[in-house]
Amino acid sequence: MAGCRRLSGASWREVLGPAQGLLFDCDGVLWAGERAVPGAPELLERLSRSGKAALFVSNNSRRSVSELERRFSRLGFRGVRAEQVFSSALCSALYLRQRLLGAGDAACPGPAGRVFALGGEGLRGELRDAGLRLAGQGGPATGEDEPPVRAVLVGYDDQFTFAKLSEACGYLRDPQCLLVATDPDPWHPLSDGRRTPGTGSLTAAVETASGRKAVVVGKPNRYMFDCIVERFGVDPSRTLMVGDRLETDILFGKNCGLTTVLTLTGVSRLEEAQAYMASDSPAAKDLVPNYYVDSIADLIAGLDE
Amino acid sequence: MAQGSARRCLRLEPAAAREVLGAADTLLFDCDGVLWRGEAAVAGAAAALSRLQARAKRLCYVTNNSSRTRAAYAEKLQRLGFPPAEPRQVFGSAYCAARYLRQALPPGAAAYVLGGAALSDELGAAGIPHLGPGPADLPGPGPADWSRAPLQPNVRAVLVGFDPHFCYAKLCQALRYLQRGPDCLLVGTNRDHRLPLENGAAIPGTGCLVKAVEVAAEREAFIIGKPSRYIFDCVASEFEIDPARTIMVGDRLDTDILMGNNCGLTTLLTLTGVTTLEEVKGHQESDCPSRKSLVPDYYVDSIADLLPALED
Repeated sequence: MAGCRRLSGASWREVLGPAQGLLFDCDGVLWAGERAVPGAPELLERLSRSGKAALFVSNNSRRSVSELERRFSRLGFRGVRAEQVFSSALCSALYLRQRLLGAGDAACPGPAGRVFALGGEGLRGELRDAGLRLAGQGGPATGEDEPPVRAVLVGYDDQFTFAKLSEACGYLRDPQCLLVATDPDPWHPLSDGRRTPGTGSLTAAVETASGRKAVVVGKPNRYMFDCIVERFGVDPSRTLMVGDRLETDILFGKNCGLTTVLTLTGVSRLEEAQAYMASDSPAAKDLVPNYYVDSIADLIAGLDE
Repeated sequence: MAQGSARRCLRLEPAAAREVLGAADTLLFDCDGVLWRGEAAVAGAAAALSRLQARAKRLCYVTNNSSRTRAAYAEKLQRLGFPPAEPRQVFGSAYCAARYLRQALPPGAAAYVLGGAALSDELGAAGIPHLGPGPADLPGPGPADWSRAPLQPNVRAVLVGFDPHFCYAKLCQALRYLQRGPDCLLVGTNRDHRLPLENGAAIPGTGCLVKAVEVAAEREAFIIGKPSRYIFDCVASEFEIDPARTIMVGDRLDTDILMGNNCGLTTLLTLTGVTTLEEVKGHQESDCPSRKSLVPDYYVDSIADLLPALED
């Protein structure tokens, strides 16, 4: 079982030495709301100069990758390119493209099925960019030659309504129609310490109504790592995962064979990690990080060479 | 019904029915799928209830539907030709939720409600201050605006019922109230997943909305309706009920029959609603104890099948 040890000084140099690169979660790690975590931009700069690769893996399905690229820049992170950023919006689009457009479906010839997406413009844009057709809201196909809806995608949807829930269930009566969720997060922190409901909450409503289980694209599931490996050929044994949420980031790291680092600038508290460590449940052990830091800025010191 | 012995889902033939009905003082009826389907009474159901009443059986109506008041149910029973019922014989989840909050909330405390007019009416009748029913009434189009809306300081419970106006904004408000502390109660009228419509389609049930709130708040709701004991306790506290002399009649295994079994009642499944005999056999043959607890003592194709046993 992972030891949840503080990462600093000698242990950091030991861990960093053989590493090719780091995967970073974004919210609660690099920034909180509209403020960069102090020192985070400098850490990324130093890592880059040390020849370590940095990639970004976020469950936040609100923003398209190009919006995220602009956000990095606006918050003071220089040189982050869109191709380094893996959001659950992008990866959901890639997943649906594979399932609905890829390889052709002998049983269902003709144009690929449409996606009924519960989410904002950022998510919808990623789906369109992937070549997927979206179902308009408010009911069945307007034209007779509109292909059927072959997937319901649940993302962060602050305009979610009972009517949309009902419409989703209508599509899901067809057992061929996929149910996919961008991420499992039950809530997200707001800058004032309050919480806002996450995709996981909306997905639970859709699952309950439809009697179906969603395929969840985001952390802690492996799919986003598979997308990363496909694009960059990352070696998990030489990669660190840095995140702030035990149930998603750290479990993701464990599931993908990565060394995990918990940063305490976000959702999870050190006491929670320690409680998982002390628990008898085997599942709890998988939520214990290898290391922790108070902030990723703590890692700058070890990069002085 | 002896403790621990497996229930056998026997067809209730007239001879056995005479004995079983003879041994009962009280019958509890679910409504949708038992007495009526939509606006159409099940043929012979009204006659059966009439005869039961004539034999001095106490009749009560126990429903998870939180969109109607007790008075509305009493009115529907009359309209469809059933023996007249007083509102006090009707135990709907809206009414029972109001009863629960009246006992569980400190004086002057209010409830934030995800629900409709009937739930609001029942809370009003119970003297419980509440806010929230109907469309979301929040300043501005996005979460940043909503989180600026002031919270009512006296809200000490979030109540989730059937809410066709459910939306993310209301879910946010519910979460804000629950975040204030564990002494804000979370109550759900019921967990039904789907409400079947006449054409075979279904609309999402209250259980979906309860689940959304539970996941966001990382808490479990106290559930009022079947299969929870609470709704039965409401009946038992209103009338003198001896579980051993009470029959629960329903069409749904995971609500009606499960509640009846858990409360030590005799359970009678009718096949005029959502459940098929194959489903019951599946549970009977399973090794899983929680599936076995879904098996009723008896079944009939329709409650009209009780008529021969009620002939004088």
